[in-house]
Amino acid sequence: MAEKIGCFVCSGCGIADAVDVDTLVAIAQGEKKAATAMCHEALCQKEGLELMRKEIESHGLDGVVVAACSGRDKSNEFDFENVYVDRANLREGVAWTHEPGHEDTQMLAEDLVRMAMGRSKFASRPKGEPVQPNNRVLVIGGGMAGLSAALYASGFDREVVLVEKEDVLGGFANHLHKIYPKDMDLRAYAETDLDGLISRVAGEKKITVYTGAEVGRISGAPADFDVTINQGSDKINLKVDTVVVAAGWKPYDAAKLGHLGYGTTPDVVTNVEFERMAKEGKLQRPSDGKALESVLFVQCAGSRDDNHLPYCSNVCCGASLKQITYLKEANPQTACYVIYKDIRTPGHYEEVYKKVQKTGALFIKGEVESVQKGAEGGMAVQATDVLLGEPVAVEVDLVVLATGMVPTTLDTDVLNLTYRQGPELPEREYGFPNSHFICFPYETQRTGIYAAGAVRMPMDLASGMDDGAGAALKAVQSIELISQGKATHPRVGDLSFPNFALQRCTQCKRCTEECPFGALDEDIKGTPKPNPTRCRRCGVCMGACPERIVSFDNYSINSISEAIKSIFVPDEFEEKPRVIALACENDAIAAIDMAAHNSLRINPFVRVIPVRCLGSFNIIWVADALSRGVDGIMLMGCKYGDDYQCHFIKGSELANTRMSNVQDTLDRLMLESERLRQVEVAITDYDKIPQIFDDFLEKLEELGPNPYKD
Amino acid sequence: MSSKHTSVLVVGGGMAGVTAAIETAELGREVFLVEKTPSLGGRVAGMKQYFPKLCPPYCGLEINYRRIKENPRISVLTSATVEKIEGKSGDFSVTVSVKPRYIQAGLCDPKKPFEGLEATVESEFDYGLGKRRVVGIPHEQAYPYLPVVSESALGNPEIRKQLENTAGVDLHQEPKTMVLKVGSIIWSTGWVPYDASRIGYLGYSRYADVVTNVEFERLAAVNGPTGGKLVRPSDDRAVKRLAFIQCAGSRDENHLAYCSSVCCMASLKQTTYIRNAVEDSEVYVFYIDIRANKYESFYRTIQEDKKVHFIKGKPGLVELDPASSDLVVVSEDMESEKTVRVPVDLVVLATGMVPATREQKVPYDGVSYDEFGFLVSDPFTAAIIPAGCVKRPVDVAASVQDATGASIKAVRNG
Amino acid sequence: MSEPKTPIPELGDAVVQTGGDTLYQCMQCGLCVSSCPWRQVDGDISRDFNTRKVQHMAQLGVEGYETEEVLFACSTCGVCVNRCPRDVNAIDNMRVLRAMIAESGSIPQAYRPVIGSLKSQGNPWQGERSERLDWAEDLQVPKFGEGTQYLLFVCCTSCYDARSKKIAKAIVSVLKKAGVSFGIIGQEESCCGESVRKIGSEDTFASLAESNIKLFTQNGVKKIITTSPHCLFTFRKEYPELGGRFEVWHYTELLKQLIAEKKIEPKHALGKKVIFHDPCYLGRHNEVYDAPRDVIDALGSTRIEMDRAGTESICCGGGGGRIWMETPPGARFGDLRINDALAKQAEVLATACPYCTIMLDASNMAMGKEELQILDVAELLDQVT
Repeated sequence: MAEKIGCFVCSGCGIADAVDVDTLVAIAQGEKKAATAMCHEALCQKEGLELMRKEIESHGLDGVVVAACSGRDKSNEFDFENVYVDRANLREGVAWTHEPGHEDTQMLAEDLVRMAMGRSKFASRPKGEPVQPNNRVLVIGGGMAGLSAALYASGFDREVVLVEKEDVLGGFANHLHKIYPKDMDLRAYAETDLDGLISRVAGEKKITVYTGAEVGRISGAPADFDVTINQGSDKINLKVDTVVVAAGWKPYDAAKLGHLGYGTTPDVVTNVEFERMAKEGKLQRPSDGKALESVLFVQCAGSRDDNHLPYCSNVCCGASLKQITYLKEANPQTACYVIYKDIRTPGHYEEVYKKVQKTGALFIKGEVESVQKGAEGGMAVQATDVLLGEPVAVEVDLVVLATGMVPTTLDTDVLNLTYRQGPELPEREYGFPNSHFICFPYETQRTGIYAAGAVRMPMDLASGMDDGAGAALKAVQSIELISQGKATHPRVGDLSFPNFALQRCTQCKRCTEECPFGALDEDIKGTPKPNPTRCRRCGVCMGACPERIVSFDNYSINSISEAIKSIFVPDEFEEKPRVIALACENDAIAAIDMAAHNSLRINPFVRVIPVRCLGSFNIIWVADALSRGVDGIMLMGCKYGDDYQCHFIKGSELANTRMSNVQDTLDRLMLESERLRQVEVAITDYDKIPQIFDDFLEKLEELGPNPYKD
Repeated sequence: MSSKHTSVLVVGGGMAGVTAAIETAELGREVFLVEKTPSLGGRVAGMKQYFPKLCPPYCGLEINYRRIKENPRISVLTSATVEKIEGKSGDFSVTVSVKPRYIQAGLCDPKKPFEGLEATVESEFDYGLGKRRVVGIPHEQAYPYLPVVSESALGNPEIRKQLENTAGVDLHQEPKTMVLKVGSIIWSTGWVPYDASRIGYLGYSRYADVVTNVEFERLAAVNGPTGGKLVRPSDDRAVKRLAFIQCAGSRDENHLAYCSSVCCMASLKQTTYIRNAVEDSEVYVFYIDIRANKYESFYRTIQEDKKVHFIKGKPGLVELDPASSDLVVVSEDMESEKTVRVPVDLVVLATGMVPATREQKVPYDGVSYDEFGFLVSDPFTAAIIPAGCVKRPVDVAASVQDATGASIKAVRNG
Repeated sequence: MSEPKTPIPELGDAVVQTGGDTLYQCMQCGLCVSSCPWRQVDGDISRDFNTRKVQHMAQLGVEGYETEEVLFACSTCGVCVNRCPRDVNAIDNMRVLRAMIAESGSIPQAYRPVIGSLKSQGNPWQGERSERLDWAEDLQVPKFGEGTQYLLFVCCTSCYDARSKKIAKAIVSVLKKAGVSFGIIGQEESCCGESVRKIGSEDTFASLAESNIKLFTQNGVKKIITTSPHCLFTFRKEYPELGGRFEVWHYTELLKQLIAEKKIEPKHALGKKVIFHDPCYLGRHNEVYDAPRDVIDALGSTRIEMDRAGTESICCGGGGGRIWMETPPGARFGDLRINDALAKQAEVLATACPYCTIMLDASNMAMGKEELQILDVAELLDQVT
């Protein structure tokens, strides 16, 4: 709780042209009881900052309200040691978006100052709780991604424990005759050198390798995980801070590909089986040992197929091309056919495609119609050929099915977490873990646990190595952050963490169920057991709790309630309705600022309150607002559903559920449920902001004033 | 490690560079992030949405910018270029030259002082499709959020005169040179779109309504030259029929022999721009192979749209029908073996990626490139660590992934 | 669906081994099809001739492309070769496929007299060898001998075709005016063999080339001026492999140089709007684009350009043996070029290839557009000097 709050009003950037700043100072000092309040023409400049520092010191301020530009701007300038800083957005929120000198504009500015002052009363600067790390990373999987992760995560004063279930390191690459793409003479991929990688790992003293081993159990939380490794009958217990999951993939089960002839004859094999044949030097027809003179490759065997794997496994085109080179190098006369949907050789792999074409391999775009025993002892394949416009039939010695990749984690537990929400990483689809895979590809739903390689998405070895490096960075970096008591992505550096007033807990389990990151465990009764180092500080638990027992030092139900209660609500005869907009601070708030950047006019009856995530929206705020006579409440958050854009996974979705529940209650109270509205606002929807507000105000006008108005 | 310096230099402030800088700084290292334009953000800042989630790039930039603001270990240098690199891993001396913004020091109001100055120049951010004011904040999501005097305006004597008379503008500012001492260097200068005018038969130089995929992003973007309205550059006619020509320069020995790997997904994504905005719009995608490797389900969804026609064939001609002012795309439709002549309003060329390092080399001896200009390096020993599209043509997700990995390489190698 | 076809990879291999060595590089993008001039006209060939599919069939070694309308449609204009993203030389591949057909004896009817004439008379036009120099009567064309710098190799077409003879005469005239040391050998000269090779008669080509190389070598020829870009192509690109190495010039290249050196100067201005049609074999096949334009620019005329010029030029329809084939009205490429020229209000359509002149003339007459003059660049220069 900030006890001594100072308020500094900036008159620059057009603010003084729009509003009477002296009145704002007076309100802060009088009505809101600021310890000190003043105005300055450029707070963000040297002189302004010095003034503020001096005031902080002389008054012993522990809270400061900067009534100036948007909180998104100059946050590093307005940062004072041990002082909670709140912002009243007078520039973007008022001066750039409202009619200068108008009564409504002035009222808006006054409210913004009141709200920030109110919030500050219930907020203090979080200190964070440093923890002592073990400086140890667990890497699960000793394939190329895992080896790369282990190598990069080790060093300095950090140890790595590498657990591989096979008896040797190398993972799937061990089963390869030649490594793609290294062995395809592409300079850009020379690094995929398995032997080199294994010997580097062997030479790294800080890496402890357990082969023939699996992770039996992981309990605890980042920076304090207790891991049990099962190696044969031995159990090894140790502590680690963070985890990289590089458990790899397995081939799609070809037994399901009977329609392509698999299982009925030894002369139909998978690409994995063919790789072994090549590695063993047995390029012969399995059924009778005849030297291979003709081979047909079926691409997308079980991939891009709703009956099997709907996705593309990304590497099978390249793998078949590589395998054709085995055949052509052994005997250039070998006839090679490829039946494909699309040849997918992105980037430099196009060079491989071209090179293999030159060997005379024949590419047929079409679908296999039948694979049967042929008249001459081979396999008779009939396929459509889109490019010929006619079907083709060919009898070959061998059919190779280019089967796809399935993440090991689809049906095998590799982490065995003792988390209340389950033992593994939550999945996005097809067994691949959920993450923000575009801007923040490593952000799983389990703090401190990062997926890398084909377990994350189908990828080639070169990408797997890069991915291992990336995951290693995140694993190491999160130790750094967590040990300082800081949050990891997306609120990196946040020192706050939720406090649970457990004496008031009713064991409803909403928080433990709704936490997107599995941060909360439960005791037998259902009381939440917080794990601060798993927490991402989104506030979903705070929004979920019906007893309102969850709060952060600098963000709480009370601080927002107080902001709501600070708004001056004119009586109904003034015909000045009031709307509270609770807006996601990453996207909706930014969109409103961007509307200001473009000088769009915004409705002056709206009072915007930033929230960490819409998932932190607690229904008590609706009661607070409506009982004060506020006419409507708007929730502005991210898109939800399958293509959710919420960086806390399901914040806006949870808010929507809660809002629907409140609406039912409102209906029962004969208060129109339309007074509550949620809108999806993307950061670039700034052009729609004025309309969004105006539409809502129009609806509210239809409904008439809130009957609870004074 | 016996490094003299542990700080890291990141060159290029696009998505890869921004990521590399932040990830490295959050690991506890000092970072210098050098960007040649006046704002961070790079190519992604000019895009309307990412595939496959159709989310705006500004959202991720918002998070990243906040991370930069809150991290005292990152020094951002915009309008800056690396002139010279000397030394070796652990002990580099890097000469950086920084151009002025020509804005008076201590001026905090980024808008009002320049409101009277109405002169405009061609907007590079909009690939020349629109105009921008000569002084202003580069765009809504610029970092730093500060005004800058457009460089191209300085050459115009009339505009120069106006600038001289504008309070808040200071044309006397001089470029500065500084020397940074760093332990390792991440090179993430990104890519440039392939020059579509070199593919004569596709009509890019001839017709204003043949645009590239990066230009189309600007036409569709709400902060683009048309405010996001899909109209033709030549005559403002609403776009209802749209053709995408894939591999415009990629997979082509005469242009870029490699596959640029993102253009298929980019076009599929851009298909949604018009299909979601314009009812009854028709889209034609001319392709060789659809390479939706990572996002097959996105492709499938688009395929189910009856108004989107996938035509396997590489067009050899785009011509103007003077009567209707339609552009006519001539291609084989291989599935029917017929030649189709498809009249459309706008043609989008899915032009590929050229690594920035094809033209702008790293000013340091011993850096090697492949025949296309991509950086080639040993991940365990490289002095200059490539990240993102200077290494391989990749999408944003893979670029971020690579940049994250590059950060730990920088920390280890340096 | 029809009975499935069975690929025979050995057939594809045979194409590769006999000169179609880029066959397998084709990735079936179809740019050859959409770039093909046949797409610009109507008719059965336009409908049936599909370069891309021919490549695919040849790769697989399946039949179906052997008809006259498909295999012999290609005029070898080279647009597809020029643009091919995989560097496939469809002309080579087509030539090899035609040769395979020729070997089996099923060559199109129209080519039988051509090949017969080449074999017996050394020219494709069924002219007597003894009449090869009739065009040069009363011209006192110097005989190539010791000390002569250039052999002027006159294309068979300009030796026997009435219209084309005028081009040969004009070239001789300007060379004389410029004081160039040149001469002709005489009736022993044979067709260069370029077009007959394209129609698949490898043996005819081989014997013509052999005879010419022997003749040139015996006469001490070092430098050759060709009147046709087709001769230029075969002398430059095909004879060296057979042992014939000469410095070969297209006459426009030489004229450009003579003008630059002021060895020949226009006496008056032509004063007309001249548009240039790039012959495929001068432009795409030999990359000579500037020389004829420089000559036109020296005429005191206004040079204008077609929309499709330079590398994008459209074929006249006479290459690849098409000059001896009947192409129905509506499907003639020459018509396109007449329209292209008229669209720019040209008065003179200039070119620099005997085939082009014949094909463009034919189209012009059939279209009744006599206001447009079709002239060779040499004829224009001769007019003003």
